[in-house]
Amino acid sequence: MSTLGRILIVEDDPNDVELTLTALDEYKLANEVVVTRDGEEALDYLYCRGNFKTRSNDNPAVLLLDLKLPKRDGLEVLQQIKSDEKLKMIPVVVLTSSHEEKDVVASYKLGVNAYVVKPVDFHEFVNAVKELGVFWALINESPPGSMKKN
Amino acid sequence: MQKRLQTPKPLSAIQSYGLAVLSVSVALGGALVLEHYDFRGVEFPIFLFAIAITVWYAHMQAAVLAIVLGALAFNYFFTEPLHTLYVTRSELPYYFIFVLFASLLTWFTAVRRRVELELLRARDELEREVAERTQQASLLDLSHDSISVRGMDDVITFWNRGAEELYGWKGGEVVGKITTHHLLQTVFPAPLEDINAELLSTGRWEGEIEHTKADGSRVTVTSRWSLRRDEQGEAAAILETNNDTTERNRREHEIRTLNQQLGKRTTELETINKELEAFAYSVSHDLRAPLRHMVGFTELLKKHAASLLDDKSQRYVTIILESASRMGNLIDDLLAFSRIGRAETHMTMLSLQHLVQEAVAEVGQDAGGRNIVWRVGKLPDWHGDRSMLRLALVNLISNAAKFTQTRPQAEIEIACMDQKQDQVVVSIRDNGVGFDMKYANKLFGVFQRLHRPEEFEGTGIGLATVQRIVHRHGGRVWAESLVDKGATFFFSLSKSRESDL
Repeated sequence: MSTLGRILIVEDDPNDVELTLTALDEYKLANEVVVTRDGEEALDYLYCRGNFKTRSNDNPAVLLLDLKLPKRDGLEVLQQIKSDEKLKMIPVVVLTSSHEEKDVVASYKLGVNAYVVKPVDFHEFVNAVKELGVFWALINESPPGSMKKN
Repeated sequence: MQKRLQTPKPLSAIQSYGLAVLSVSVALGGALVLEHYDFRGVEFPIFLFAIAITVWYAHMQAAVLAIVLGALAFNYFFTEPLHTLYVTRSELPYYFIFVLFASLLTWFTAVRRRVELELLRARDELEREVAERTQQASLLDLSHDSISVRGMDDVITFWNRGAEELYGWKGGEVVGKITTHHLLQTVFPAPLEDINAELLSTGRWEGEIEHTKADGSRVTVTSRWSLRRDEQGEAAAILETNNDTTERNRREHEIRTLNQQLGKRTTELETINKELEAFAYSVSHDLRAPLRHMVGFTELLKKHAASLLDDKSQRYVTIILESASRMGNLIDDLLAFSRIGRAETHMTMLSLQHLVQEAVAEVGQDAGGRNIVWRVGKLPDWHGDRSMLRLALVNLISNAAKFTQTRPQAEIEIACMDQKQDQVVVSIRDNGVGFDMKYANKLFGVFQRLHRPEEFEGTGIGLATVQRIVHRHGGRVWAESLVDKGATFFFSLSKSRESDL
């Protein structure tokens, strides 16, 4: 296996977090996963502030972003990331339950790198998460400044 | 029109001179005959009479000829010596008197004749003018507008039929008898002095005024006043044209009210639509998440506890998973259904032929290795929303594929049944299990199914979705079938017009 990028998950629902981690774990992709539970915490992580003051100053290889979040929702987080020179290169994948066209359109307008609807079927869900993890954390050449681990 | 004396046509030259010769000859003959019977001294008035007739009916030159001829005949036959043109001294005064008399008579008659002709001409002209004026006045009567004329003392001098009809008073009741404003109890939009001042300075005034009719009801009119001045430039009369706008004002008011109501209704509908959208959004998001967790953790349970679960428990787990999966499909279908009601239609020209081929390809792929004979007829280009019509076709065709799955060889035929200028009918026929026509009215309802789930799977939303799409294209959908003899579904699309759904 080549270098594995860090995955930042922004997800408020503990069940979804567990399912996602389970799916990633099945393919040994869960080692470098950071979970934040709302938009505020996600931005704290990215800006190394609050609870994340002491973390090493590097960007995740990919950010899996839910849209419906407490405090600041996914679209606000996305907008903040894509309008910040230091953060805008981080690949952001929206991972959500919403099929709604307006969400898809809004996300792409803000510069999202991919938009994935969480499948209801567990096998499909596991597959989707695995493929996302493999592609973004493993295959994709991350922008400079991302943390990589051999 | 009464019979009247026409101005006589002047006689031609030949007729005039002929008349001169004839009248003198007749006078001569008459005078000779009378002389023969010893009536003496009548030749003088007889010749004068002949000359008078000539000058009356013919022109001056002929009269001169008559005088000359008369003088010669008078001289030849009636002055001494007889039968010569010689005049004796004693007869000379008599002869001169005759010529002088004849000339004077001719002159007087000619003058009188000219005056008479002029009078006749003047009378004709006057009559023509009167006829013309009468006709113009009757034209005013034809006008639907109320037209009245009043003098500067406001007394009505003209009242057309339009005014009679509008206000209910006959012309005879009001003309010359009453002032306009008193009769109609006019309510002016501005002080009358200002209106009159404007009328006098510009010659016209226009505004909306209120009148009271003979029956006491009020009427609003658009009133136009024009001032007529006499030859000295003095204000002489006012022409008033009134146009009843009561009904128009009432309708305008009604339209405004209706528009306001419509606006309110639209706002309400928009609010409801937004609520519905929010609802659909929350269904899409909030309902799916717990479902996903149910499925996910049940799968995990199945995996982790595989060795601990007996067969019965395993079956329960499977049922939980299947039910959850069905619920997932239901949610998706319901969302798609509600989206069709909410979405804007994007009408373009599209090829129904291509659309059907795409749908057939999609359904054929899902049907996998089944033996299906497809027959696709010729289909026209039509106006519609591409993605919606595609969804409708996929639903109908996949239905046909579904209900033929028990057949060793399925046959599905898509054709254009009927094409008119503004409507097209497409049919999808299959040789599947069909349905009982007594349930035909239930086919297109949401969640309505005619088969048990273990026979044919499905959520019961597909045909409801088709109906909604077809309605949004101003068409309708219906079906014919016999149990076990296949079914035919029809839908019509009308041209470039969205129904009010």
